Amino acid sequence: MAALALAPLLAVVAGAIAALLLEAFLKRGDHELSATAAVVSLAAAAFFVVRAWPLEPASFGGRLFLDPLALLLMGVFVVVAALVLLMSLAYAPRRSINLGQLAGLLLLAVSGLMIMVSSKDWLVVFLGLEVLSVASYAMAGLRRDDPASSEAAAKYFLMGSFAGAFFVFGLALVFGTTGDLGFAAGLPGSGAPGGPPLAALVGLGLILAALLFKIAVVPFHMWAPDVYDGAPTPVTTFLTIAPKAAGLGVLIRVLTPLAARGGGALYVQALSLAAVLTMFFGNLAALRQTSVKRLLAYSAIAHSGYALIAVVAGDGPGLVFYLIAYAFMNAGAFGVLAALSGQGEEHVRLSDLAGLGRRHPWLAASLAAFMFSLAGFPPTAGFLAKFYVFSAAVAKGYVLLAVAAVLASLISVAYYLKVVVAMYMRDAEAEPVLEMENPALFLVIFLCLLGVVQLGLWPGNLLVLIRQGLAGLF
Amino acid sequence: MSDFAAGLPIVSIVTFLPLAGAVLLVFLREGEGKAVRAVALGVSLLTFAAAIVLFSGFSGASGLPEFVERASWLGRGLDYHVGVDGISLFLVLLAAFLTPLALLAAWRAIDDRVKEFSVFMLLLETGMIGVFVSLNLFLFYVFWEAMLIPMYFLIGIWGGRRRVYATMKFVLFTMFGSLLMLVAIFVLHHAYYQATGSYSLAITDLAAAPLAPGLQTWLFLAFALAFAIKIPLFPLHTWLPDAHVEAPTAGSVLLAAVLLKMGAYGFIRLGLPLFPTAAAAFAPALSILAVVGVVYGGLMALVQKDMKSLVAYSSVSHMGLIMLAVFSLNFEATEGALYQMLNHGLSTGALFLCVGILYERTHTRLVADHGGAAARMPVFGGLFLVSMLSSAGLPGLNGFVGEILCFFGIFKANRVLAALAVSTVILSAAYLLWLYRRVMHGPLKEPGEGALRDVDRRELAYLVPLIVLMVFMGLFPGTFLRKMDASVSRHIRSLRPEPAAVSMIGKPPAASVKPGRTAESER
Repeated sequence: MAALALAPLLAVVAGAIAALLLEAFLKRGDHELSATAAVVSLAAAAFFVVRAWPLEPASFGGRLFLDPLALLLMGVFVVVAALVLLMSLAYAPRRSINLGQLAGLLLLAVSGLMIMVSSKDWLVVFLGLEVLSVASYAMAGLRRDDPASSEAAAKYFLMGSFAGAFFVFGLALVFGTTGDLGFAAGLPGSGAPGGPPLAALVGLGLILAALLFKIAVVPFHMWAPDVYDGAPTPVTTFLTIAPKAAGLGVLIRVLTPLAARGGGALYVQALSLAAVLTMFFGNLAALRQTSVKRLLAYSAIAHSGYALIAVVAGDGPGLVFYLIAYAFMNAGAFGVLAALSGQGEEHVRLSDLAGLGRRHPWLAASLAAFMFSLAGFPPTAGFLAKFYVFSAAVAKGYVLLAVAAVLASLISVAYYLKVVVAMYMRDAEAEPVLEMENPALFLVIFLCLLGVVQLGLWPGNLLVLIRQGLAGLF
Repeated sequence: MSDFAAGLPIVSIVTFLPLAGAVLLVFLREGEGKAVRAVALGVSLLTFAAAIVLFSGFSGASGLPEFVERASWLGRGLDYHVGVDGISLFLVLLAAFLTPLALLAAWRAIDDRVKEFSVFMLLLETGMIGVFVSLNLFLFYVFWEAMLIPMYFLIGIWGGRRRVYATMKFVLFTMFGSLLMLVAIFVLHHAYYQATGSYSLAITDLAAAPLAPGLQTWLFLAFALAFAIKIPLFPLHTWLPDAHVEAPTAGSVLLAAVLLKMGAYGFIRLGLPLFPTAAAAFAPALSILAVVGVVYGGLMALVQKDMKSLVAYSSVSHMGLIMLAVFSLNFEATEGALYQMLNHGLSTGALFLCVGILYERTHTRLVADHGGAAARMPVFGGLFLVSMLSSAGLPGLNGFVGEILCFFGIFKANRVLAALAVSTVILSAAYLLWLYRRVMHGPLKEPGEGALRDVDRRELAYLVPLIVLMVFMGLFPGTFLRKMDASVSRHIRSLRPEPAAVSMIGKPPAASVKPGRTAESER
């Protein structure tokens, strides 16, 4: 039943169209209907993902290619989108955000992500990337009354267009010199004696740069802090997790077979360097932040660096586990932030958290758990995720990379714990920030907390599932 | 093994009972301070009772871990694998014994956020015991790191004025070492897999598969750094005075009495047996650092104005002696080090409690603000004196037995270092008795009429057990040493790798030795 693997994509596309059409033709203010359509389509997509598992790799029309990695990543996208949607139910009405539009764009972005990861063909990846990008630009600017949100959208659009142009130019170089659009085109060992032509190598480099842009890897990260900071919090949640997952999924799909053939050492070296720079830049910059959201934005950059190590080490299961763990801890942290930021100012400062441990013990404890997980303390999901990724790096002989990664983690401990210090070890001086009490938001936080604890202590089934599913691929 | 303990997963019970208590506490109402305290104390007493069952059931004849429990957890050698041997048993007992006393000591001192405090104390207990009972390196690391979280909160929330600085310094220092240890664990994990074709992080398996000397050096350094920071070994001790001075009394007690022991225990359980060649090579250098710590800690203690930092520096000095004994790599010294670890736990714990009692009455820890307290607090004076003499190693009390064993062993290993280390006897007598004279004798300094009241029943309830045990351990050391003997001699034997053709991991061509996998760990 390989065709079943296409069903999640179709469900999401249908949902996106339905939500956007409902939004366009129904009377204003009736956003719940399109949100419901989105929920239904996500539920259907999740159902199909589960039903299609386990999956024999299958190709559709020579362009789409579905395998367990694609399916697992689709599952991650669906879960993240569901969390974001739940978060938006509470968030959108209070920020004069059109929930129906948000739901439609979100599904559109998810469909782009799904396309990206289910192909071995650069053109299809580009297609997915553009669908994702267009939807993301719009989502970042959904708060039209907020200059920061508009700035985020404009910045993301401009920089994103550059990245898109890089991709196309790279694609042209690869296609022009090799006449092939597949991942294997222009790679060492794939054809012509004496290696691929230089132009193809450059072209591939440009394509990789465009992907690294989406993942927010140094030196292609410049857009990230402002966009993550300015976008509405649920959108930030989405942007910090899902495009990253897709980009890393594509990277590992390209590089692992390459490394297996003994090629691509240059790319791997470049990515190792980028990973180190990303981890240190993200963590050092986060140290200086006073706004919690901006702190999390830089932390998101740092986590791109950690996850990139999994790509360098060619550790597919580790990458997927990392992404799932990161999805829960990051979505949870942003969920708490959304609950705290209330109706007013988006920028919750560290000092605004003072005394939260007393006023909202459960909310504070959850945020503390997410911080400990992001910092990589056992027994949380964040620890195991790092454990597997760094350990894979060591197994592949990248010991110094692992050392750099743990030192970067040490820096991150300092700022993640600053959040905890603020909540528990400082007393409130001024009136506390406004809080949003909403069952949907609390559900998001609760689910994420569950994920962080469960994956830290008993990831058993999920881990086995990932390892078995990807056994043949890596 | 006694019939009573047979069939029960007694090690897991001792380890996780406090955790269960902490979960229970979370669901109690915040307002019920008394109930919260009572539940926490009850749970910790139950844990101690379970630890006693463990102690009485422990035979110690073979020197191997007993009450072993093993279950697969995450796969690839990351197993749940616990048990106690003659080395870890007493540290488990120490942690289980001191936690209720610390809770009792905090009964009145902590009245803000009592529930959270009790939860963190119980979590800390699970973490401490977990470190000692782990027989799998991964599990060890999980407990080792997880334990930082409750201690971080204990110092950070209930500490003194500079608590945030102190707690961050504590966490970052400790993590710096342990993260490098984590990388070393990855390397070990992978090297073992390459050599044997199967995954394992069981400590006995790893010790049975010797590593190439070059690899050993790096891995040993990574482990040694983590442990040396924890002990703390000079010059990595700077976090300790800060943490101790700022921590609440109960936190200081557990920090000094149990947490510091983890470093020394780490060397005995992991650092030395896993990397015997590197350990032997680095032992002289580490011994010198330990001796410097002994003298430096002692001299610093002499000049401290704050009673707590005086006791903290005395810890640096005493832990230096313990480490010197550990690095002497012989039977007497190691057994002495183990015994001394328990003694230091009891006496330093008692000293911190005594300082806490004074602080609760005078609200100052400065030596200069005290004087003549013995006149108003005769019973306290007596208990304080016994604690000090125990710490200073007076014959008849526990400290003497440990020190003498340590010195015998150190003397066998290196006479010069032994001679230098003996200075601890003089120094500790000097700073402790001088402290006693200044605080307890001389002109009376009382912040207010009747402020210096003598110890009450609650305070007696936590000081007297300590004093009784000090005397008992001084008079009947055999009760304890007997159960250590076999394990310690196994440990010493494991440090001398058989010279015969052992192939070495990490040294090409890849070795094909299959070490006796579970033979040692499961009996």
